[in-house]
Amino acid sequence: MRRLAWLLALGALAAACAVPLDPPPSGAPAGDEPPRSGGVLRLGDAEDPRYLDPARGYDVVSWSFEQMLFNTLVEYDQGTNIVPGLVETWTTSPDGRHLSFRLRHDVVFSTGRPFTAADVKFSLERLLKPSIHSQGAEFFHGLEGATDYIAGAAKEVRGIRVPAPDRVEFDLIGIDPLFLHKLAMPFAAVVDREAVERFGDDDFNAHPVGTGAFVLQEWVYGQRLRLARNPRYFRAGRPYLDAVEATIGVSPQLAWLKYQRGELDVATIPPAEYHRVLADPRYRPLLISRTTLRTNYLGLNCEVAPFDRVAVRQAMNLAINKQRLLELADGQGAIANSILPPDMPGAGPVAGYPHDPEAARLKLGEAGLADGFETTLWAYRDPEALRPAQSIQEDLHLIGVTVNLKPVDFPALIEAVRHPGTVSLFLLGWEADFPDPSNFLTVLLHSRSRDTNNNTFYANPEVDHLLDEAEPLLVNDPRRFRLFHEAEVLVMRDAPWVPLLHPAGSAVRHPRVRDLELHPLRPSRVEGVWLAW
Amino acid sequence: MALTGLGSARRSRRFLAAGVVLVGALTLVALAAPWLTAYDPDAIVVALYRGPLGPGGAHPLGTDTLGRDVWARLAYGARTSLFVGALAMAISLLIGTAVGLVAGYFGGLVDAALMWVVDLVLTMPSLLLLIVLATILPPSILTIPLVIGIIGWTTFARTVRGEVLTLRERDYVQAARALGAANARIIVRHLLPGVLPGVVVLAALGMSGAIVVDAGLSYLGLGVPLPTPSWGRMVSDSQTYIAVAPWLVFAPGLSIALAVVGFNLIGHGLIDLVERRQA
Repeated sequence: MRRLAWLLALGALAAACAVPLDPPPSGAPAGDEPPRSGGVLRLGDAEDPRYLDPARGYDVVSWSFEQMLFNTLVEYDQGTNIVPGLVETWTTSPDGRHLSFRLRHDVVFSTGRPFTAADVKFSLERLLKPSIHSQGAEFFHGLEGATDYIAGAAKEVRGIRVPAPDRVEFDLIGIDPLFLHKLAMPFAAVVDREAVERFGDDDFNAHPVGTGAFVLQEWVYGQRLRLARNPRYFRAGRPYLDAVEATIGVSPQLAWLKYQRGELDVATIPPAEYHRVLADPRYRPLLISRTTLRTNYLGLNCEVAPFDRVAVRQAMNLAINKQRLLELADGQGAIANSILPPDMPGAGPVAGYPHDPEAARLKLGEAGLADGFETTLWAYRDPEALRPAQSIQEDLHLIGVTVNLKPVDFPALIEAVRHPGTVSLFLLGWEADFPDPSNFLTVLLHSRSRDTNNNTFYANPEVDHLLDEAEPLLVNDPRRFRLFHEAEVLVMRDAPWVPLLHPAGSAVRHPRVRDLELHPLRPSRVEGVWLAW
Repeated sequence: MALTGLGSARRSRRFLAAGVVLVGALTLVALAAPWLTAYDPDAIVVALYRGPLGPGGAHPLGTDTLGRDVWARLAYGARTSLFVGALAMAISLLIGTAVGLVAGYFGGLVDAALMWVVDLVLTMPSLLLLIVLATILPPSILTIPLVIGIIGWTTFARTVRGEVLTLRERDYVQAARALGAANARIIVRHLLPGVLPGVVVLAALGMSGAIVVDAGLSYLGLGVPLPTPSWGRMVSDSQTYIAVAPWLVFAPGLSIALAVVGFNLIGHGLIDLVERRQA
């Protein structure tokens, strides 16, 4: 009996004590030695990439590998500026409808065949082929003759011209200030025509051939994916790595443990460990973090009572404690006071709403709802997504609003919010495809987007007008950003959203991994990454 | 299910007593929750969230991953878990006993038909059925016990039917029938008292089963609606924090274990007593 008491006491003690945080893999996290070639970068992914064919992939994992295998004509620098990729220079006509690119001469596909303008035309026409069913095709519908080509009325896209092997020209139906950004998307990557013809459109996915820094060496589905250095890569001395090997079937939790044991070179930090890792000096030099072009928001359906009243929507904005939401995210990010993320070009200060429950109550009183009301909040089922949801539930409880939580699967959530009159309140986030205000304001808040991504069913003719006016203006035209800003101020006054957070992305690296950076819009690029040992 | 006692009468009385004490203590916590803690279980009580707080000070069991008081959630969670368990068990008991009495007493076609229904329910994978029902029905504190109750009645039905098959041949039942008593009267006055001891045993065991099923459903995210605390939900919400804040998992986990052990002790203790009385 006494032994039992001891055991119980020990058990209680164990239950009360946290397991100490394991140290990161050992080694000097930085040094002044020059970049060194060689080594294999070891990654872990939960699932195989859905695609390696750039015409089809539209998710982070697919894109992270496609970026290694292929190049685009233009690409992003470490931030959101467009820089040359496969081209040396380009010019845009004064009316913005004609773009002309001069290609690099030193680029070859990994098979050794030289890269020419005809490959660019082939790749984009393949992307537009209806049989490919590419989600990226719509970005290129503005090319002259694209509609005829898609309808089968033309054998080629008139608006993609190849006047010389090192020149490619694009003609657009109208001004498209974002065309360069579209060309920087992995969808527009140049694929090897010969490989596509040899393997066919579908099998190309398993035999991808491009001009990229790496070539696919082995893909054992469900087990591992190995990409080896492309010795013919056109950027001299790159990549530094001999290979990138991704182990498949590694959940984020497992990846974290394998990282701590030194078996993986990069991992994301499990939310439960954030706090301890951030506070631990051993981990601090290994942490990579950066703000992304993302806004998490509480959507208020403007067509459903009582959110059809501005005062109620403003009350929601005043009621929510965003500081606590940031604390729940362990400070990883920034509080959102407006729609656009702060790193978005053209984002300017917007007054926003303070956290003021008393003012929120008054606003509800203004709308004749002083006694509160009952509503349902739809949110993603994941426990980490339900934490902010419960925090919001509690905030609204304090102003007399009873919120029933409806946790659903993610596909069900994005499906449900599109149906008019179905979801009155929802938690979602949006990450920019392009670094341009239109990618938030027009895509999510223009009345014509109500059947796609405007899930709050917000419609304000004044806002529509400003957005329509801004849309065709070139990116360097100062009026463009001013008009978008005016639209954003109006949207915030009408309050279809409660912007919550701009979350930051973060990861930890093995101390031997050098020059790995996170990108605000794209997966990290690895061609500049090297291993110190 | 083979019901077996735990040996000697003294021993089974001791187990019964231990079970009663355990269950009594948990019930007391559930009933007295508002007096046992100053905190609202759903309220976020930390001014500044810096991860879960460890046990001690104002929060005897620490705070959870939202900054709520774990002891308050545990005490109020006892209400949820015991309520869900009791209601689920009551629904199973009512349906199961009724079906068992009718099937056993009438026999023949009625018996065959009812037992066919029992077999049908038993063949369905219960977890899958639970998930489907819990997804279709609107979320409410009543949904989960209803779902568990609707699926769990078959054990009662089979056991009661078996008991009735022997009871209905007893002289006093035959006598009642010869005197022209109505079927309903025979079932209620003569058969029901006979099967009750067995039913009570099953009920105690069913209670622990229902609590575990509720914990499992909460674990799958299908339990009582958020933010209502329930032990299963508390375990599932904090599972990834087990290394960081083990008390978040151990406190509700231990409560589930205590409740299950308590009801099982009562159940097994009762079996012995019942068997002794019948002998």
